[in-house]
Amino acid sequence: MLSRNLRQFCRRYSQSTTFRTSQTSPSQHNENQIGMFYTIDANLGKQLFTTGGLPKSFMKQTKTFTETAVMVRRPALDLMECIKASDMNKPVVRYVLYGEKGAGKSITMAHLLHFAHEQGYLIVHVPWVSEWLRRLPRHKEMSNSQTREGFVDLPLDAASWLLHFKTQNQLILKQGDMKLSKTYEWSKRESSEAGSPLAAMIEHGINRVKYACDVVDALVQEIKILSNNKQCKTFVAIDGFNSFFYPLTRLNTPTKKKVKPEEVTLTTSFLELTKNDWNNGAILITVDELAVPEDHQESFLPKYLLYKKGFEHLDPFVPIEVGRYTEKEFLSCASYYRDRLWLRGPPEIETELKFTSTLNPFKFMEQCAPL
Amino acid sequence: MKMSLNIIRYFVPKTKCHFSWKNPIIQGTIQYTTASGSSDVFNNMTDWETLSKKKKISKAMKAYLERAREHDDFMKKQQFEYNIGKRHLANMMGENPETFTQKDVDRAIEYLFPSGIYDPAARPLMKPPEEVFPARKAAEFDEAGRPHHFLFYTGKPNFFKLLYDAVENIQQANNFEDRVIRKKATPDPNGKLDLGGSVWLTKEQLEMALVESITDLEYDNFKVVMERLVSLPYSYRHKEFIEKHRKPLASQKFALEIPKPSYDDEGKAYITTYECLRKKARGDVTIKSPGTGKITINGKDLSYFEDTQSREQVLFPLIFTGMQDKVDVICNIEGGGPSGQSGAIRWGIAWSLRSFVEKDMLEKMQVAGLLTRDHRRRERKKPGQPGARKKPTWKKR
Repeated sequence: MLSRNLRQFCRRYSQSTTFRTSQTSPSQHNENQIGMFYTIDANLGKQLFTTGGLPKSFMKQTKTFTETAVMVRRPALDLMECIKASDMNKPVVRYVLYGEKGAGKSITMAHLLHFAHEQGYLIVHVPWVSEWLRRLPRHKEMSNSQTREGFVDLPLDAASWLLHFKTQNQLILKQGDMKLSKTYEWSKRESSEAGSPLAAMIEHGINRVKYACDVVDALVQEIKILSNNKQCKTFVAIDGFNSFFYPLTRLNTPTKKKVKPEEVTLTTSFLELTKNDWNNGAILITVDELAVPEDHQESFLPKYLLYKKGFEHLDPFVPIEVGRYTEKEFLSCASYYRDRLWLRGPPEIETELKFTSTLNPFKFMEQCAPL
Repeated sequence: MKMSLNIIRYFVPKTKCHFSWKNPIIQGTIQYTTASGSSDVFNNMTDWETLSKKKKISKAMKAYLERAREHDDFMKKQQFEYNIGKRHLANMMGENPETFTQKDVDRAIEYLFPSGIYDPAARPLMKPPEEVFPARKAAEFDEAGRPHHFLFYTGKPNFFKLLYDAVENIQQANNFEDRVIRKKATPDPNGKLDLGGSVWLTKEQLEMALVESITDLEYDNFKVVMERLVSLPYSYRHKEFIEKHRKPLASQKFALEIPKPSYDDEGKAYITTYECLRKKARGDVTIKSPGTGKITINGKDLSYFEDTQSREQVLFPLIFTGMQDKVDVICNIEGGGPSGQSGAIRWGIAWSLRSFVEKDMLEKMQVAGLLTRDHRRRERKKPGQPGARKKPTWKKR
């Protein structure tokens, strides 16, 4: 038993120089670490990503590997540089991650989330927009909005997102210096007074699911005000943002009417948040082919995926492409998989895998699975 | 004693019979008396008896003669018609009927009756009748019902004659060797028999040549005997006999046909293979050397194919030859689905790579089946059943 542990220990640290970096703080990452893996602390990973944030296949892999290791890649480094260098008094800058399927947009976003958490940002993270608009589990709760005519509420989704928001920002919310700027009346008996803590309102949204969507709306307004007042700096991350602009959702009202995305209250809230009429923050968005149906996946470029409306909504933005692996990244990834015993066999198979996966990270991961 | 005499009697007059069979009785007698000069009177008497019985033509012989005559007439007619037809054809084509050869006939038929039928054997043809109608065995016995061939009662006279001749040759070769040794001479070094470029006739070919059907065992025996003959040091003296039963190997022509690569403006060698076909896919493949392993398919890289299997198909010839990092591949492909397209590209790459690999690798590629075209096409659905081969589920009632 001891010898086995020792062997594993040796295996883990023998090659560590080539593909692993011990630098676990994203803000310290630099050019030298490109292509290397860093491990996200288990507790922190739990806090940030338990309620979504990492793709499902990646989550499975982290479970198998018993660690959450993320590769340091060029787009993430560039983004961190940009965010560090940006002027917080100017309107927020919108960064759009784009790239082909499986290139690592969501993982890059996870890396950035870690960075934002470390830098003390208030994180407003939507793990996957299509979860709300395009995924239809058997009991999808839907109701007409009480406050706004002709709008549709997704109370359960909103409540679970509030929970996600709460877990991601535990520490900041606990500090308690974030107060509401005005009174929100939910019903005759329930209301959130001006000056009461933000956390209380969130708690109210989670407990009274009926009002969750309105709470999200209020929360977005409050976050904007708080950021403008320099009480907190905000990092907005929305994955699969182009889903907001696809002409139709899969939702149907009880009267069998097709619901458009702009008729959903959650959409309006987050579109409000992604406007650049506030400052002291950063907005990171991904556009993804996977967020739209298969017959509209002709290109991965933002202009195609966002449609005219979305493009005009986001304009101006900073596009950042997440590409395939470079040669160096590929080799480092292969040796990481070998280290995890995920990839075995003679070294020649790497050349073949390089060609068959066309250096696409997801394809590579997929093809290594049975090897 | 009687048995042996009978045998002698049966085959000694054989040759004579061919020339004069008007009066076989007299011939037989003469031969008989000369062959067995010291036989007793009793024997002589009985022979007269048997021969007088054989005066009549046997029924089998009669039937055969009838058949042979019919066949001869038929063949004569066919020959006549063929010659007339050939002359007509020559006139139609505006050529001299006297110098019109079979080759010209074939060409004329192909021109006048163009046919796209897949099997060449089913296309229209005009051949001399002896090629069209298979040869028939000639009469094996005379009108008295007596076989010509001394091995007639083996049932396969031609085959066993062949073995007999082979053994005769072996004995001759051995005798010759003994004589050479006795004279203390050295064998002629130039007299070596070179059989590298040919193989023994296959069973079917041998059957055709012998006009007899033989079993697998008999064919094996044939090969054993012939091999034994070939293994002798003086077998070259029987070269003619040996080569009669061998067939030259089809020469491997592709070694000569490999095209030389052309050179583009940058001085890179390139080869383009057109008509890369598989299933319904059609395309062309260009290979450039030296390169870096870049693959372009219809302007995209290997991600043109979604599935791993197709990608591996494309890569297989490159990885097999170890050229994956040494050449660039550019393909244009259309039609069909992913597996057809990838198969077509695979063949195209392998075919183009011939110009860039060593000769032994070429042979390996051929053994691996890379240079073989896959001619299979989709099989049509049959009426009355759900698929090409699939039958409806069997239901008792």
